[in-house]
Amino acid sequence: MNKKSVIIGVIIVAIVAGLATAFSVPSSETVNLDMGRSHGTISTAMGSPLLGDPSAPITIVEFGDYQCHQCYNWFHNTKPAITKEYIETGKANLVFVDLAFLGRDSPKAAQASYCAEDQGMYWEFHNMLYNSQESQIDNGWANSERLKAFAFSLGIDLELFESCLDSGKYSKRVQYNNQQAREHNVRGTPGFFIVGPDSQEQLGGAQPFSVFKQVMDSMI
Amino acid sequence: MVNTIKLVFSNFKYLILSTVFFSAMVIGLLILSEYIFLEPYVVSHIPSGTELGFVLILIISALSALVIPMNIFRINILKKSKQKMSGGIFGSVIGAAAGACSCGPIGFAVISTFGSVGATATAFLTNYEVPIRIIAIGILTITYFTTVRSLKVECKISQ
Repeated sequence: MNKKSVIIGVIIVAIVAGLATAFSVPSSETVNLDMGRSHGTISTAMGSPLLGDPSAPITIVEFGDYQCHQCYNWFHNTKPAITKEYIETGKANLVFVDLAFLGRDSPKAAQASYCAEDQGMYWEFHNMLYNSQESQIDNGWANSERLKAFAFSLGIDLELFESCLDSGKYSKRVQYNNQQAREHNVRGTPGFFIVGPDSQEQLGGAQPFSVFKQVMDSMI
Repeated sequence: MVNTIKLVFSNFKYLILSTVFFSAMVIGLLILSEYIFLEPYVVSHIPSGTELGFVLILIISALSALVIPMNIFRINILKKSKQKMSGGIFGSVIGAAAGACSCGPIGFAVISTFGSVGATATAFLTNYEVPIRIIAIGILTITYFTTVRSLKVECKISQ
């Protein structure tokens, strides 16, 4: 074997190794964020994926905490009608931005939702959390072990999810979202901005569907 | 008991006071607990699953509006001690605080100002909102009966 063959062999091995490494990077490390994404005056770049038609004339920006019982009330009493009449019909879309302030498990739950997003399961995980919320803050229903159990029950790759959650990969993302809420004078959850083609309106609290309808109809 | 209530509330001043107490407490607590919204439109609703909280607010407001004017009557007319009055105020305050500190603006302000101590206090008041309100109703009820008994003795009202 001459020297030239050895060098070619080394190069081939290096290329194969490089390709193998590139294709073996866990998907949890892939983050597709549109850093320029904003709705009205709010930067939603670090928020949830958009729910509904991206070209809808109205965007509802919801600031929420997974341990907040008023967010739970809104999720169960108002959101279904909005989904049916505005999101599914292409009149509006929705983005969820964290204001995780209520307890020590709140930021972790928000981070977990983005770990689920890595595997294309953001809204499934989001819905799972609001369907599983218990009435007591920090009683353990949203601790790391339960979050992993929720992921497992949704069929999410648990190894990737655990590595994402335990590493605190999305802690800065949640902090950024909290900061956005404070900069926009959101003083509690849930808080909303209804962003229309020409204007935006802020709504505080778990308001009923009739209020959202009135505001959105006046914008279309 | 009916005679005692008649005695106090036959005085128009105490009837007005009671109405003001009830209105202020019920409207204030319903706004804090998000049963009433003022912006962008004035609207009220009772979300499914929150009916018990609504009823407890009505009971606390009604009892406060009954007990506090009766005790003011005792202090003003009969020049008696303020001890029983404090029971009524204490019951009203803890009943109100239970629902106020949640994920709304007051809870947010408490947590932002006091950090983890505020978060712990807010979590406690939120987690035990219903039991605290029931305790407040208990305190107000006891205060009511002791006030009625005192007024019967002090005013020599017949059964």
